[in-house]
Amino acid sequence: MRKEIHFILNGSAVSVLVEAHKRLIDILRDPLGHKGTKEGCGEGECGACTVIVDGRAVNSCLYPAFEIEGKNVTTIEGLLGSGNRLSVIQQAFVEKGGIQCGFCTPGMILSAKALLDTNPDPGEEEIRNALVGNLCRCTGYVQIIESVKEAAEKGKEIK
Amino acid sequence: MNGYDYLIPKSFTEVWDLNKKFPGAGYIAGGTDLMVRIKQREIRPRALISLRSIPELSGIDIGDTIRLGAMTTITDLIQHPELGRILPVLIQAAKRLGGTQIRNVATLGGNLCNCSPCADTALPLLVLEARVVLKGPEGAREVPLSDFFVSPGESCLLPGEILTDILLDRPSVDTRSVFMKKGRVRMDLAIASFALLVEIKSSGPGCSKVRIAAGSVAPVPLRLKEVEQLLENTGISEEIFLNAQKMAEGIVSPITDIRSTEDYRRRIVGVYLKRALRKLIYTNGEWHKEK
Ligand SMILES: Cc1cc2nc3c(=O)[nH]c(=O)nc-3n(C[C@H](O)[C@H](O)[C@H](O)COP(=O)(O)OP(=O)(O)OC[C@H]3O[C@@H](n4cnc5c(N)ncnc54)[C@H](O)[C@@H]3O)c2cc1C
Ligand code: FES
Ligand code: FES
Repeated sequence: MRKEIHFILNGSAVSVLVEAHKRLIDILRDPLGHKGTKEGCGEGECGACTVIVDGRAVNSCLYPAFEIEGKNVTTIEGLLGSGNRLSVIQQAFVEKGGIQCGFCTPGMILSAKALLDTNPDPGEEEIRNALVGNLCRCTGYVQIIESVKEAAEKGKEIK
Repeated sequence: MNGYDYLIPKSFTEVWDLNKKFPGAGYIAGGTDLMVRIKQREIRPRALISLRSIPELSGIDIGDTIRLGAMTTITDLIQHPELGRILPVLIQAAKRLGGTQIRNVATLGGNLCNCSPCADTALPLLVLEARVVLKGPEGAREVPLSDFFVSPGESCLLPGEILTDILLDRPSVDTRSVFMKKGRVRMDLAIASFALLVEIKSSGPGCSKVRIAAGSVAPVPLRLKEVEQLLENTGISEEIFLNAQKMAEGIVSPITDIRSTEDYRRRIVGVYLKRALRKLIYTNGEWHKEK
């Protein structure tokens, strides 16, 4: 069973012919070429596959592709500004050492974005809670939390 | 991976038709349990029927009776402006279920229908004496949640039936409640979990109603009715609490698995009961007049 589905990906309308058993991560990575979305566990545990759907962070490895019809999806590729300028959150991860191997980073940044979009000035506990579904094997998390705090501070300056 | 069909009906009539056309098809809500089981090849469905686009399954209505649509996500519960005040024990449990990404898609109905002994929302709903509405092509029936769970992974749902609503009576103003959960890390299934609800006697120390439920310590999420009876309408003392603790530890029938041992789980239930009683009603000989 196949059908064409239509949704908004990082602000642009896209259509893809999809098989019924595909997951959101499958169509993002393959036909759509958005390889910033990573598959770690494929079981909802690690958060490497995190994308934002209609304002909420979700695991794209658990999300049936057919359900994305009509929805608004943001992947890490959607955060780059014009001329490949890094977004505030990305820049903060670079500056504060929130990235080592980088495998968890797109998911971490999208979880952080979903948080900051609704709560621009989160406390440490709120940051930890928002990132509890994202595992990192390298940094030990401290620098990641600092990166999100920095992004919140810089975000305020911009506004 | 073997392929399967994925069907998105917009009404119950369509669902009943699809069940006939695709015998053996299963329902999918948020998919946070089901997609994992498919990935792990525990199940190989030929077709999935999605419940996401049936309008009647969502929504929260608050009156003397509270209705929670089965497709309400855990995040919807937490973000609801009134539920935190009216049903604090349910919201405490919701906040401990999974991580943000899971809560954003996991549904209340899915948590119950998955029928895991560790389902976090089952315990608050048991102590709140929730009822569930089960709907099939022939009509709907209402079942107390305590009769819904049959064995691990098995509910009293008949083939094709859908859990449509969770119904609750609005708790009285004299109600106090608490949820507790022991996990290995913050985002984990419960090693053991626990909920206590008491209704305080207006005339002074004591409870006119006690409701206790424990998770991951029996084949299904369990009400501890004998312990409830021991604590209802009696005096309140450390000695009674100790008896209740021992009784609770005796009633549960946990297993040893990768998450924990039988003995540890048994003790947690007793300790949680003691802590919950102290928190809600009585510490060091002092009766808590205020909540
Ligand atoms: C990483 C991770 C962490 C988790 N942490 C927790 C946790 O801390 N606590 C916890 O309790 N659970 C946890 N879970 C399990 C899961 O997220 C919850 O049980 C969730 O509420 C299931 O809801 P769902 O909508 O995703 O169900 P689905 O996966 O869509 O469905 C589960 C089962 O119920 C059936 N079903 C669903 N809705 C209905 C309905 N309305 N009528 C009839 N049948 C129905 C489906 O056919 C399926 O068999 C976790 C899962 C993952 C992957
Ligand atoms: S790949 Fe989706 S959570 Fe790990
Ligand atoms: S930077 Fe390597 S997993 Fe997080």
